[in-house]
Amino acid sequence: MNSSLSDPAFWSRFQFGFTLVYHYLFPQLTMGLAWFLVYWKWQALKTGDEKYNEAVRFWAKVFGINFAVGVVTGIPMEFQFGTNWAGFSRYAGGVIGQTLAMESMFAFFLESAFVGALIWGEKRLGQRYHFLAALGVALGSWLSGFFILVTNAFMQHPIGYRIESDGSLGIDNLRAYLLNPWALIQFAHNQSAALVTGSFVVTAVGALYTLRGLYRTQAALYLRAGTLVGLLASLLVAFPSGDQQAKMVARHQAITLAAMEGKFVGGTRAGVAAIGQPNVAARRLDNPIEVPGALSFLANGTFQSYVHGLDEYPADAWPDNIELLYYSFHLMITLGSIFILLMAYAVFQNWRGRLQSNTWLLWVLMLAFPLPYIANTVGWMTAELGRQPWLAYGLFRTTDGYSKVLSNGDTIFTVIGFVGLYFVLGVLFLYLVGRQIGRGPEEDASALDVGKDQELIDTPRQEHFV
Amino acid sequence: MIAIWYAVVSFMLIAYVILDGRNFGAGMLHWFVARTPEERRQVIAAMGPLWSWHEVWLVGFGGALVAVFPRLMASAFSGYYLALILILWCLILRGVSIEVGGHINDRLWQGFWDFVFVFANFLLAILFGAAAGNIARGVPLDAQGNFSMPFFTDFGVHGNVGLLDWYTVSVAVFAVGILAAHGATYLALKTEGPVHDRSAAYAKYLWVAVVPLFVLISVESFFVRPDVPGRAVHNPVCWIGLLVTLISVAMLISGFSTRREMRAFLASNFLIVGLLATGGASIFPVMLHSTLTPENSLSAYAIAANHTALVVASIWWPIGFALAIAYFIFISRRYAGKVSVKRDNQGFY
Repeated sequence: MNSSLSDPAFWSRFQFGFTLVYHYLFPQLTMGLAWFLVYWKWQALKTGDEKYNEAVRFWAKVFGINFAVGVVTGIPMEFQFGTNWAGFSRYAGGVIGQTLAMESMFAFFLESAFVGALIWGEKRLGQRYHFLAALGVALGSWLSGFFILVTNAFMQHPIGYRIESDGSLGIDNLRAYLLNPWALIQFAHNQSAALVTGSFVVTAVGALYTLRGLYRTQAALYLRAGTLVGLLASLLVAFPSGDQQAKMVARHQAITLAAMEGKFVGGTRAGVAAIGQPNVAARRLDNPIEVPGALSFLANGTFQSYVHGLDEYPADAWPDNIELLYYSFHLMITLGSIFILLMAYAVFQNWRGRLQSNTWLLWVLMLAFPLPYIANTVGWMTAELGRQPWLAYGLFRTTDGYSKVLSNGDTIFTVIGFVGLYFVLGVLFLYLVGRQIGRGPEEDASALDVGKDQELIDTPRQEHFV
Repeated sequence: MIAIWYAVVSFMLIAYVILDGRNFGAGMLHWFVARTPEERRQVIAAMGPLWSWHEVWLVGFGGALVAVFPRLMASAFSGYYLALILILWCLILRGVSIEVGGHINDRLWQGFWDFVFVFANFLLAILFGAAAGNIARGVPLDAQGNFSMPFFTDFGVHGNVGLLDWYTVSVAVFAVGILAAHGATYLALKTEGPVHDRSAAYAKYLWVAVVPLFVLISVESFFVRPDVPGRAVHNPVCWIGLLVTLISVAMLISGFSTRREMRAFLASNFLIVGLLATGGASIFPVMLHSTLTPENSLSAYAIAANHTALVVASIWWPIGFALAIAYFIFISRRYAGKVSVKRDNQGFY
């Protein structure tokens, strides 16, 4: 990354990266939490137990604040393809435009139609339709994830295209493009990771209430569902989806795999470095402690197999920030392993009936919720830094893709604007969600008497926003 | 096929203008039609749970543009860089003000977000109006199909133009007027009580004010783009658009004089559709006109994606469209009826 002030490609990359990483803090919770809402609403319909409805009402409010920030920060993403990446849009818009457009038609319309009704419309919709609204929002958010991952998978592993007479790309086979094997594996990996975020947040709130001795029924519900889903999703992130993703990278982006692992020299029985710092100038990994053969096994399924090294490729084909890529990847792996151990222990404790009284474990669970956000972020940094120096892997370089008409000052100005605006949004988000969690799930259950006449529930209340 | 997709893309943009335009209008009039905190919540509630569904039409328009006319999207969005980023920031602020304004029942909190709401909606109406003016006037496209414009140059409409000049500013003023009238007509339909009475009164004045503005920008348009009318008279869509506009005016007058609010609001929608359809059809097939030399203009036929892209999009788009309309009808029916000042009347905000 040529991080000089005068490099226009850097600033367009920085802006896209920043707005995207920030945006994705919100949809990962949306996509994870949506299925908790569907599950609890379904349980409420099936058992008639009001505690499930209380859980839905409480989490729908948290969901709503989160969703709103996700929506407003998501709109700039699509438009930046044109504003900052005009070169790339001209080149590949004929292909990736398909999924960008489909995302609006199939996912955004679905989500946006039902989300308001999910959060505030329980009495207007009735119980069955309220369940359908939850399902619609969950499906919409996952469809949106699918179309974006197909778009990203095309950049990682382009298929289904043809090269037109003017040198740009056009769609050739929509089915091949949509069913890109890279996209399917990435979808499984990414959606499991979103479920990890959702379950850690649900668990953390359950732990918080338990430690404070509040809302015992609700807290137990959150802890049980959160830890169970958390364990399952953490396992799915690693295997099979993470494993398959690594094999995919080994097969199609051998240089990237070498850079992720700091493998400057290729060889058989290649190891995974548990510890070590890549030294790009000297082209070696400093102070390594390696697990021999592990990388060969992960990449190709046998300990003996050959793994390519960076020295086999010209330096201008290397990812342009190998250190950041290496650390992002290793941090993701480390956090992923911690998630499995932590959630397995929590599920075991809960099964033995000891979780509620295990104060230190509750503290850990309460404070662990930022970790999946970090893991998701460094996971995406691994994917996107690993794709460099290409925008469409092997076809189109990042340095050709940015908008040549922009002056550097324009982009720096808008970067600063986005940083400032998003800082305000972040403060606002934390304040409102913190306030919602502080008020708890049982605040005004009486005001939400379902099925009563509109006029009857119209009693003055301290807060009319429910 | 390319003409059909030109129509589809235009349709999505027009749908966005009539759907979110009423929110812009309601937002601009927010302080004038609603005086008490309760009335201000009523205006927000009248925008309903579907405001973000309205905004999706803009995102859908952007998506369709990348899919079908990628080169137009690349040229226009990078050329309008700062203006477009400003629009994005305003959309963010507007969305946040709707979502969080009602969260805390506090005068200061709500007063602040009401201010953000009004300010962002005003700026959005101005920016979208100026953008429409820019599309009609053209931009300084070079031979590679690129341009970049300052906010203003010498306020002239030929050669090296800026985002704002005497023509685009008057289109922006017209946009503010007609969207405010549209919003007032919507609020008159969707609310009751004092907000309804004030909105209905404002709607009449605003629609009357729109007439001279419309005459003004029509005359101006002849001077700015003398090449357009000659081609437009041979385009039947322009005549249909004009006919729709004329019928809508009659409907609007009859709606207001007989106090049929639904009729007035439908007329308001059709009026905007008619105007924009006429405008869109009259510049066809040029999607972005060059003020430097006509050879640099971007024509729909030259910049469309390949035939396969248009064909496959023609298969999935109608399905997505039908589903989107189905969701809309389902939710709209649940939220039918007028919004009163009484809290939770709509179960929303």
